[in-house]
Amino acid sequence: MTVRRFHAEIGTALVTGAVGATAAIGATSLGYGWEESGPQPGYFPFYVGLILIAASIWNLVSAVAAHRQASADASAGGEAEEPFLGREHLDRIGRFMGAMVVFVIATLFLGIYVGSTGYIAYSAWRQGKYRPISALAMGAGFAVSLYVIFEVIFRIPLLKGPIEPLLGIY
Amino acid sequence: MGNFDLLMQGFGVAITPMHLLLMVAGVLMGLVVGVLPGLGAPNGVSLLIPLTFSLDPTSAIILLSSMYWGALFGGSTTSILFNIPGEPSSVATTFDGYPMARSGESTRALTLAFMSAGIGALTGVIVITLLAGWASNFALRFGAPEYFAVYFLAFAAFIGMGSAAPMKTLVALTTGLLLSTVGMDTITGSVRLTFGYSELLSGISFLVVVIGLFGIGELLSTVQEGLRFRGVASRIDLRDVLKTIAELPRYWATSARSALIGIWMGITPGGPTAASFMSYGIARSASRKGKAFGTGRPEGIIAPETADHSAGSCAMLPMLALGVPSSATAAVMMGGLMIWGLTPGPMLFATQPDFVWGLIASMYVSNLIGVVLVLATVPMFAALLRIPFAVIGPMIVAICFVGAYTVSNSTFDLWLVLLFGLVGYLFSKLDYPIAPLVLAMVLGHKAENAFHQSMVLSDGSLGIFFANPLVSTIMAVGIALLVVPKVLAFGSRFRRRIPVE
Repeated sequence: MTVRRFHAEIGTALVTGAVGATAAIGATSLGYGWEESGPQPGYFPFYVGLILIAASIWNLVSAVAAHRQASADASAGGEAEEPFLGREHLDRIGRFMGAMVVFVIATLFLGIYVGSTGYIAYSAWRQGKYRPISALAMGAGFAVSLYVIFEVIFRIPLLKGPIEPLLGIY
Repeated sequence: MGNFDLLMQGFGVAITPMHLLLMVAGVLMGLVVGVLPGLGAPNGVSLLIPLTFSLDPTSAIILLSSMYWGALFGGSTTSILFNIPGEPSSVATTFDGYPMARSGESTRALTLAFMSAGIGALTGVIVITLLAGWASNFALRFGAPEYFAVYFLAFAAFIGMGSAAPMKTLVALTTGLLLSTVGMDTITGSVRLTFGYSELLSGISFLVVVIGLFGIGELLSTVQEGLRFRGVASRIDLRDVLKTIAELPRYWATSARSALIGIWMGITPGGPTAASFMSYGIARSASRKGKAFGTGRPEGIIAPETADHSAGSCAMLPMLALGVPSSATAAVMMGGLMIWGLTPGPMLFATQPDFVWGLIASMYVSNLIGVVLVLATVPMFAALLRIPFAVIGPMIVAICFVGAYTVSNSTFDLWLVLLFGLVGYLFSKLDYPIAPLVLAMVLGHKAENAFHQSMVLSDGSLGIFFANPLVSTIMAVGIALLVVPKVLAFGSRFRRRIPVE
């Protein structure tokens, strides 16, 4: 599967347009007109939302125009549209994103220390081809330095899970 | 008191053992951040801001600005040694820096870059010193309409002068403005655009957004490319350093021209990245015969580096005097200022002279420290890039999420980082500029406040933005910046001559 630039442009323009629409609709419930003391709270977001919708439509139209031009060029024997993301790229991004999402979920349940130890160890082991024991040491080393920098030096508590209290760390 | 006396007083503030230590620490952290992919100056500063809450504002700003200088230096190091720009603003340095390093002259290339960077930064700081008093006096005449006009000018400049498509810049800007309106509204006290999520009541922190956009977004781009570091040996030979310094005066014209470009782009919201490309392009078209550009010409290193750093330091002036930052990093620092309880703008000069002049004085000192430190530690930092990405990548990810969590101890922010990471990646792939989004998020509240107050003053007439010569001039300049660059065919032809890779 490959993603073409055209698809990405269209998708992004649609999403930014939707953001604008959401804001404008949200603002209407606050009132976007005038009252005694000046503009109502929804005034600013409403009009900014409208501008965002307009700019997104412009981008949408110019992406379609660029796509038409490129297809015309391609059928005339010219250069075809550049591929945006190849299979290989998507694979790499997907794997990296996947590990990152698992890390975030693990962090929410187990805390930042356990989450980052596992995440770094896993990635060093699977992608870095380190031996499991040295990969684990890297993860643990990272978590310990986080602890020292944040909790000991700067006294900023980080997110902890159910395991830290068992080790006597609060 | 004249500017000079104030500056001397500033040196008294800046040169204390504690502050010198902070400068060294800041520059070193900046170097790390500048060298590593995925960590750049804007999100490096964002990550550090929560740690500065325990410091007094002067120490905090000295630490943050030193980190900024360090990041600028670090970005040039990887451009030259690895052909990987550590910072967007050091892309232009790769064109001639990497070829020169490949041909065995890495010490010469690095020295040229660092010395030019130092010269650029010092010129920038001198300009700030000279203009600071005047700029703040000028800004004291500003009322709400004038402030709104200045914000309008900043936004217009991004749209008109940026290298991206104007409508894409507009999308980035308005998205930032909308994000800034989420949560409790300070003027009317009403809750806006939270759509029932209690996590959004306190608003979306721009720090979290910056960490996602710049940190995770940039990492995703790095991952997609698949990292191949082909580094050049990076031993620094002191004799070569001295020889290169002796060679510098020959290029005074390039240096002077580039510094001027940097100053202009730094004070107007062009930013360091645009400045370095522009300066490279001009140096190339102005050069006399000789070795071709792109093959390791000294001017090809001097021009972008000088402009990059003079723009970087000049960006502090509009931030301090007007409260309008002209680069993403300056925007983040200004957000920090507001978190520490300071209001950027002309009153800052009157009420916090120690802070302002301490910062300006520290810029002289920490840039000197930066040049020396970077020359001494380049081999060490270059070694960071030899750590396999499978190890360093996840560590950077973890640091980004930890940093986002420390902003307000909210787990909701972790999801926001993930979301904005994707946004940042897509935006940079599709040539949507990110800096305007950050700028708009930081300025959104102030712009809306100024607009609201002006409307109250004028009873709802937009005519107030053209009511007196000062505000009309600013608005006119803003409109001109918006329209003129894109209309002039010359402008577009000129930009096309600047190579973009």
